[in-house]
Amino acid sequence: MNGLYLHVPFCEKKCTYCDFYSIESTGLIDRFVQTLCKEIEIRCASLTVPRTENTNGIPSQIGKTLVPFHANTIFFGGGTPSLLSGTQLEKIISTLKDHVDIDPNAEWTMECNPGTISEKSLSDYRAAGINRVSFGIQSFAQPELDFLTRIHSIQEALDAIPTARAAGFTNINADLMFALPPQTVASLEHSLQTLIDLQPDHISAYSLVYEPGTPLHAQLGKGLVVPHNEEFDAEMYHIVMHTLQQAGYEQYEVSNFARPGKQCAHNLMYWHGHDYLAFGPSAHGLVNTERYWNHRSLSTWQAKVDAGELPQANTENLSHNEQAIEYAFLHVRSDGLPFSTFQQRFGLDLQTMLQPHLQHWIDADFVTINNGVLRLTFEGYRVCDEISLKIIQSITK
Amino acid sequence: MQHFRNFCIIAHIDHGKSTLADRLLETTGTVTAREMTNNQILDDNPLEQERGITIKLHAIQMAYKAQDGEQYTLNLIDTPGHVDFSYEVSRSLSACEGALLVVDATQGVEAQTISNLFMAIEQGLEIIPVINKIDLPSAVTTIDNVKRQVMDLIGCKEEDMILASAKTGIGIEEILEAVVKKIPPPTGDPEAPLRALIYDSIFDPYRGVIVNIRVFEGTIKEKDKIRFINTEQEYELDEVGVMGMQRVRTKSLSAGNVGYITAAIRKLQDTKVGDTVTHAARPCERAIEGFREVKPMVFSGIYPADSDDFEDLREALGKLTLNDAAITFEPETSNALGFGFRCGFLGLLHMEIVQERLEREFNQVIVTTVPNVRYKVLTTKDEVLWVDNPSQLPNLSAISEIQEPFIKAQIITPTEYIGTIMKLCMERRGTMLGQSYLSADRVDLTFELPLGEVVFDFYDKLKSNTRGYASLDYDLADYQTGDLVRMDILLNGEPVDALSSIVHRQKAHDWGKKLCIKLKELIPRQMFEIAIQASIGAKVVARESISAIRKNVIAKCYGGDISRKRKLLEKQKAGKKRMKQVGRVEIPQEAFLAVLSID
Repeated sequence: MNGLYLHVPFCEKKCTYCDFYSIESTGLIDRFVQTLCKEIEIRCASLTVPRTENTNGIPSQIGKTLVPFHANTIFFGGGTPSLLSGTQLEKIISTLKDHVDIDPNAEWTMECNPGTISEKSLSDYRAAGINRVSFGIQSFAQPELDFLTRIHSIQEALDAIPTARAAGFTNINADLMFALPPQTVASLEHSLQTLIDLQPDHISAYSLVYEPGTPLHAQLGKGLVVPHNEEFDAEMYHIVMHTLQQAGYEQYEVSNFARPGKQCAHNLMYWHGHDYLAFGPSAHGLVNTERYWNHRSLSTWQAKVDAGELPQANTENLSHNEQAIEYAFLHVRSDGLPFSTFQQRFGLDLQTMLQPHLQHWIDADFVTINNGVLRLTFEGYRVCDEISLKIIQSITK
Repeated sequence: MQHFRNFCIIAHIDHGKSTLADRLLETTGTVTAREMTNNQILDDNPLEQERGITIKLHAIQMAYKAQDGEQYTLNLIDTPGHVDFSYEVSRSLSACEGALLVVDATQGVEAQTISNLFMAIEQGLEIIPVINKIDLPSAVTTIDNVKRQVMDLIGCKEEDMILASAKTGIGIEEILEAVVKKIPPPTGDPEAPLRALIYDSIFDPYRGVIVNIRVFEGTIKEKDKIRFINTEQEYELDEVGVMGMQRVRTKSLSAGNVGYITAAIRKLQDTKVGDTVTHAARPCERAIEGFREVKPMVFSGIYPADSDDFEDLREALGKLTLNDAAITFEPETSNALGFGFRCGFLGLLHMEIVQERLEREFNQVIVTTVPNVRYKVLTTKDEVLWVDNPSQLPNLSAISEIQEPFIKAQIITPTEYIGTIMKLCMERRGTMLGQSYLSADRVDLTFELPLGEVVFDFYDKLKSNTRGYASLDYDLADYQTGDLVRMDILLNGEPVDALSSIVHRQKAHDWGKKLCIKLKELIPRQMFEIAIQASIGAKVVARESISAIRKNVIAKCYGGDISRKRKLLEKQKAGKKRMKQVGRVEIPQEAFLAVLSID
């Protein structure tokens, strides 16, 4: 289970809370698509492993075949990938298919802004091979959308999912946000119910994060925005988890909920520590134990690719210990940490090492342990990072 | 022998003792000005230089050609400058025939100086008063007052006092001449049975213990078989010499001289300060008077921050005792801190020095508990127990009486602070024994105080409440019965032994409340609510609670976030290094010293 991530760094208008790399110069998209396709070629060439084939006992250069990277999930993120035209998307997808061994049943996700789609564009995406769309709906309350500086209206938010269904999509995600300063319990419940009524297959519900470097963070610093207190944030989180569970969505990560069988394969691929190639400015990839990240600026990224180089800004090679830490905290925050697999991979008997904590956690209903898998409960997700920290402490002791 | 002079310098911290010593070395040519780059040569431990105090004793021999044309050998014996080390001071004084009393022209006499001075007078030393720092502009207004204080104190005449500035060199010749003229030469018979005093010993990793001695009678030579009378140890000497800037081998030392001996002695404990050295074959009739076993007065638990480092800590403490024989340590266990050591110190400063040395010189990461004194407990079965760890105190029902050590404290202060000091001492259950005016604006106050109340932060309080003007000296007086109880701290109902303390019953409620509030400040919020209780026996006297963390989780963690997220968690983990887990509560190490920071 490996993945591909493609970052489309364009937005009609940047949202004040967003810390992903994105610019508003949408006129550069065509050029970007060309460069992205070239990056795919360069990256894949750097990765494929030559295998010498022996013809009649004579090693032959010509006889070398390349084993391409195999992928089961592809994710177009951004930015606003739905600013791509059907033609641009087709070009990217055909380049991918030329250089990557893509599973015929792969999950192809595309993030879409409810304000930049039409039934036509969605049909084009569907025709190009996209089989999962993810809408950044965030809220059904106008003051909250205004606060987030989203470009879409409530009506567009309401229309997005039915439009996608009409265009043939059967796997649809919607993002929702909570702990927004203008939000009340009532408005959160309204947004949740409205969304549930639209029957998306998957819901990502995020607590607002004040990311350093964003305009929102600057407003916070100036006292122009007053965040909710921790208590209220926790209460809203509880409402989200509880309501979605009641509506038949299973939580499989801190912020992710799905109808049975509709979990996002791409998300799980990240959390289960599989390899993924990444393309586009600022994108992060992981191959074996090496993580790389591309230049963040579009022009630098473009210049590197134009020069025929990998446009990566840096890499880090994960030590055994770092791999163990990532494995542990990513599994804890998603669908559970299997102790025996952990022990096989990292040689550490975590269940024994965590002994001073485990019973306290179970007693407080933060975790359950079933079949040797430690999983967070509702109560546990709330303090996920505290628990992760204890586990990391045990690993690195 | 007529040309030997053995003397020391009595001075308060910062009154210029070390600078004066340096100047004497320089003037006598023992050390050149060029070698003086790192000033204050006698304090060669970096910690000593930083704190401006002398912990270990040194001696140095100087050659001086006096105005009478004769060549003299001057032995300057350094004394430690802190209240914790008063026994060592008394021993080094007894190695001398005279002392320079150095008083800062702008500061006047301090408590420490007085107690050391009286000790010197008692031992019959010739006192040469020196008023130092006369070059300071402010000395003009204070010097007459200071002179009067000194005259009152030792009954000398104005012309007996030497006005000096060790910094600029004023009066240094005069001091050297006075040492030669006024301090009597040592007496003693080089042919008599050997009788020498150990006034200090240091550990050298290559030679073993180097013993510093003053020979009173007889002659000591290399290859001699000697005996330490009190420890009853016998050794054959390797090396005998005197201390110049380095050790100078002289092969023998005779009555009246000061020098060192080595003899493949492995343990500092075998060479106790104050012990007498004599020949095994021809021993002297009696030991030199005044020997005392130095006993620790303040105790504290020292634990490795990480329990895996217990053996490392044991080794570090072992090495530390090689050159500090006053530390005691015994293994102990605590439910909160695991395996560690109960350590005994001469006083609070000594404790701080040991802790710092463990961290700096031995790279130990340690958790220390609140210091306490040693209690004498009489049980209902008429047994006597000595308790130096509050959690070891028996149940109330088994105790018939608890006695605690009292000290006699001498505090010298400008008169304007009398009220403040009275209040402080009363709060600490002190009783005033007397007061005498040193001058119109300086007073010498004597209090009796429980040592247990002084080991907390008495000295710091005294200093801060008097803007640093008051000075303190103390001596252990006796044990007295007190209405004492053990106060336990419970976190979520579980007692944390390392936080137990022994307090006076009348102060227990107030104390418990303050301690709970302090712990609430120091213990970070955790996943669980934490109840903090202070109890005496089964009775809870104070309580506080720390609310639980309600939410701590980063919402997003996708491909580009993982590395950043991991680093964030690793950073948070590093910040939590010194937490100790008790039950499900994690306690930061500062919390174990919470008592020290209570107002």
